[in-house]
Amino acid sequence: MEVSINGARILATFENVPIFGTVQITQTLVVSWLVLAIISALCIWLGHGLKVTGISRKQAVAEMIYTSLVNFVRGNMGPEFDRYIPLVGTIFVTSIVSNLISLLGIWSPTADLMTELAWALVVFVLITYHKIKASGIGGYLKGFLDPIFVLAPINIMSELFTPISMACRHFGNILSGTVIGTLIYAALTTASYALFHKLGSSLIAAVILAVIGGAVLLYGKKAKKKLFFILGIVAAVLGVLAVITNLGVDYPWLTVGIPAIPSLYFDWFGGCIQAFIFCTLTTLFIKQAAGD
Amino acid sequence: MDTIYQSLVTVNPVTLIAQICNLFIQLLIVKIFFLDKIKAILDQRREAADKQIADAEAAKSEANAIKETYEQNMRVAKAKADDLLLTAQKTATARSEEIISQAQAAAAQIKSKASADIEMEKKKAINDAKDEISGLAMAIAGKVVERELTVADQEQLIDRFLDELGDNV
Repeated sequence: MEVSINGARILATFENVPIFGTVQITQTLVVSWLVLAIISALCIWLGHGLKVTGISRKQAVAEMIYTSLVNFVRGNMGPEFDRYIPLVGTIFVTSIVSNLISLLGIWSPTADLMTELAWALVVFVLITYHKIKASGIGGYLKGFLDPIFVLAPINIMSELFTPISMACRHFGNILSGTVIGTLIYAALTTASYALFHKLGSSLIAAVILAVIGGAVLLYGKKAKKKLFFILGIVAAVLGVLAVITNLGVDYPWLTVGIPAIPSLYFDWFGGCIQAFIFCTLTTLFIKQAAGD
Repeated sequence: MDTIYQSLVTVNPVTLIAQICNLFIQLLIVKIFFLDKIKAILDQRREAADKQIADAEAAKSEANAIKETYEQNMRVAKAKADDLLLTAQKTATARSEEIISQAQAAAAQIKSKASADIEMEKKKAINDAKDEISGLAMAIAGKVVERELTVADQEQLIDRFLDELGDNV
């Protein structure tokens, strides 16, 4: 079986567009618009019908989200950077939704480097703005010659690599999740066909396996032995599926449910933690740039 | 139509620019429809809370002022009452003293009048007794001398007798 891991699908290509030349509408863009629509709908839903007293459960959640966001930004940057609350919140929620939308089987926009690079460039512009504001344009340029002028290329590189490393960190984690998910899926598909073609080659063997499994399951339940109970379930399910395969329904059964277990880490945990790390770095870099 | 894929890592300027635009559009929507609204509500609630606290403080100080005035009034009233009581006591004392002295004066007057009356009664009684005694003495003397004495002698005799008698009375 061949496994191919690709980037975003190109849905449409427009040639000879003024200024841009060839414009490709990719899955990344379309799903980003979907994410934009989802978040906007969520915001409008959470933000309407607010009351000062006697608040609803929905409003309590909305206020909790707002308070956590404000606390996060103030905790990392201090109260003088309150105007970056919307930016940090937007990047966070867009990142989370973009990462988790892959759970619905939709292409994740954050698996395209351009998405993270767009955010990182915005952050980079802010960092540079704050550095220039803090020490003047002369001081900013002079900073590259620090401690001696020979190091200027390295300093310029380290400056440019701030957004690139931010973007690549996020992108790499999401992409690795996608790649590993694809690999696991492919491996399970192969394993599943191999297993059930073997088991289902004989109807009698499959039925016997199912019956033995059922018997072990009942014994384990009666004697309250967990090991026998679980073994029985496994054997019975395998037997029944083998019978179904033998009757002509050829499906990679092992890909049902099992990929959800690694996905718990790579999609849920990884997705949330990367969104959090990106926002933390955004706040810390801006704070650092303004503080020097 | 064949499905065409990008490679895993592609630099696509159009996507990059579009994503930057998306970020700003999303930023505006999040800010206008969510963050600003929640912030306004939280600010309103804080203002309301501040106002309530200020109102409570004002009510408390007002109550304290009223209490202060009341206590002040009570102190004044008590002082007035004490004053009144004292004045009344003084008046009563003065009045009673006056009454007593008047009574004493009246009693003294009555006493002196009574003793004057007694004196007069006594004199009157003595005079009556003198007349009585002189008549009695005349009768006794007439019996004793039986017309040997003249009227002039008689009277001389009687007067002398009476003077001696009067000295002894």
